[in-house]
Amino acid sequence: MDLSKLKKRPSYPFETIAVAISFSPRCQLVLAEAKRLSDVLGAALLLIHIGDKTAEKEQELDEMMSTIGVDPNHSRVIWMEGDPVDTILKLCKLNIVDLLVLGALEKENILKFYLGSIARNISRKAKCSVLLLTNPTDEPQKFKKIVVNGVENPKTIHTINTALYLAKNIKVKDVTIVNEVDVPGLAMAIADDSTAPQTKEIKKNFADESEETLQMILEKCDAGDVKVIDKVIKGKPGYAISKFSKDKKADLLVINSPDTHLNVFDRIFTHDIEYILADLPCNLLIVHSRL
Amino acid sequence: MIKLAHNELIVLLLSISTMLIISRIFAELGKRFKLPVVMGELIVGIILGPTILGMLYPDIFLYLFPRTGNIPIALDGIFSLSVIMLLFVAGMEVQLSLVLKQGKVAVYTSMFSMIIPFFTGFAIAWFFPEIFSIPNELEPKLLFALFFGTALSISALPVIARILMDMNLFKTNIGMVIIASAMFNDLIGWLIFSFVLSLTNQTASDHFSIWYTILYIIGFGIFMLTIGKKIIDKTLPWMQTKLSWPGGVLSISLGICLLSAAFTEAIHIHAILGAFIAGIAFGDSVHLREQAREIIHQFVTNFFAPLFFVSIGLKVNFIENFDGMIVAIVLVLAYVGKVLGAYIGARLGGMSKNHSLAVGFGMNARGAMEIILGTLALNAGLISKPIFVALVIMALVTSLTSGPLMRKFID
Repeated sequence: MDLSKLKKRPSYPFETIAVAISFSPRCQLVLAEAKRLSDVLGAALLLIHIGDKTAEKEQELDEMMSTIGVDPNHSRVIWMEGDPVDTILKLCKLNIVDLLVLGALEKENILKFYLGSIARNISRKAKCSVLLLTNPTDEPQKFKKIVVNGVENPKTIHTINTALYLAKNIKVKDVTIVNEVDVPGLAMAIADDSTAPQTKEIKKNFADESEETLQMILEKCDAGDVKVIDKVIKGKPGYAISKFSKDKKADLLVINSPDTHLNVFDRIFTHDIEYILADLPCNLLIVHSRL
Repeated sequence: MIKLAHNELIVLLLSISTMLIISRIFAELGKRFKLPVVMGELIVGIILGPTILGMLYPDIFLYLFPRTGNIPIALDGIFSLSVIMLLFVAGMEVQLSLVLKQGKVAVYTSMFSMIIPFFTGFAIAWFFPEIFSIPNELEPKLLFALFFGTALSISALPVIARILMDMNLFKTNIGMVIIASAMFNDLIGWLIFSFVLSLTNQTASDHFSIWYTILYIIGFGIFMLTIGKKIIDKTLPWMQTKLSWPGGVLSISLGICLLSAAFTEAIHIHAILGAFIAGIAFGDSVHLREQAREIIHQFVTNFFAPLFFVSIGLKVNFIENFDGMIVAIVLVLAYVGKVLGAYIGARLGGMSKNHSLAVGFGMNARGAMEIILGTLALNAGLISKPIFVALVIMALVTSLTSGPLMRKFID
């Protein structure tokens, strides 16, 4: 597999959007959302089904495509058998997919969560950006509020720029970039020999540092006419931003792709993206920066 | 029911207040010279104990800290409670997810900074038991070697956290690797130590129960860190909103700590393991509010910790039990094993030479955790007083030198 075209490929614009076709009850809605996005962003649409190709399925897909108005000349359908996660990931690489759209439940039962569902496993491993839609509808999604993770990480600048690119194209006006402050061991470090003003100052310094970092990242971004608000919140990374998005009633949360290969231990000793995947607060866009 | 007599109660209250007030004065004085609080508390113990007060004014010493009657029993109960509480708050800061999050550099650093000092200590104790006056017989030699390896491989998260904060390294890559690795070291270290302690209570013919002990420790750890943690995580929001705040969380958290400690003690694993694991399960919850965490820390660190660390000086005469050679050996082994182990781990994880050395010296701080470990081993009869004194000195020296040595390799 020649992956040279993938390396250093910018995280946006989204030139090829793929959508996983599962023939589930929500499948048509997910396809409709993917089609709308591809129209707005001028991207080619790729429909992927992992499973056997039968006449009934072909007919059902044709009906779906015609109902939604998917132009067969501007889209392709790939049928392939195999392990859903690995095959979808492989096809995304082969076809230089920039964004993969999947339907996902907000929360899964505990066993499925630990074992890993298809959508979530793809999110953990994908080498392209992934959009998990929790509540796809027939009506065009009105993303009004986008929350973006502004964590200190080389990937973040690409993630914010991708979120802003999306915001500009889908006409979102409210984008909040959030940096989470969490200092493990701080309570222990200040417990025995810090005065009240010292403790206050130490905490303020951590918050100020995070604010400065966020400002430095934002200075490098091109927000255009999108209104960008920056915010520093306290709490465990992943959990804090998830709660913030829920409280703010955000429509889309945008985060970096994971830095390490995630496995079941990351779900048992939950951290970062796993807090979000455990209970999706809203639609989720995981940006892969391909660094 | 046995009750404290009127006079005994007065003496008990006097001795506790003396320990608390004088140790606070020394801690505040030490702060001016950037010395760890635990050092001030130990010095107070030495001053109030047999080393100084007992030698100069034995009557006052024996009045405040009598060796017979109900007062020593009451104090012993308080000291036992103190060590359980200390382990609980130590556990509260352990986030195993941080090791996973930091990836291979933290995994390698934590593994090598445990394995190399452990085997260095184990090998020296195994092949040269006479240095430590340990009889050259299988059981005492094995127990001591296991303990000595563990004692050299443990880290002191509170001291490390403080050093990183003072050096403004907390949120850096180095800081996170050190913190994550120290957390992992602590978990494995206390698991091994609990196993060693439980073995000291078993007879030679009790080999079958050794496997049960291992099974109990692993089973308890897995249960508490998975199902127990989930239960706490689910009930904590309810506790924090429906019960009085912060009293409700305080009572329940300390109650869970003692319950868990009682359980491990009941299954013949030391109570400290129950407290430590309960601390991890409780402290790792995303729902535990920062204020509640800080209150628990303040309460334990400023009430139980001084009593415990002062009590060490009350039990041991540091001058009589000072053995220069043992101190030197322990110090050399502590530095070589830990710094080398962490250095190798950090290098394998992809860090530069200088930063790997900084990680090594950062992780070398043993502080309060080493002293707690030594005290428990002394109480269990695993080690002699000269070895205990050497461990205390090593804990203090490594804590004092950790920051300056780290700075050398970061600048």
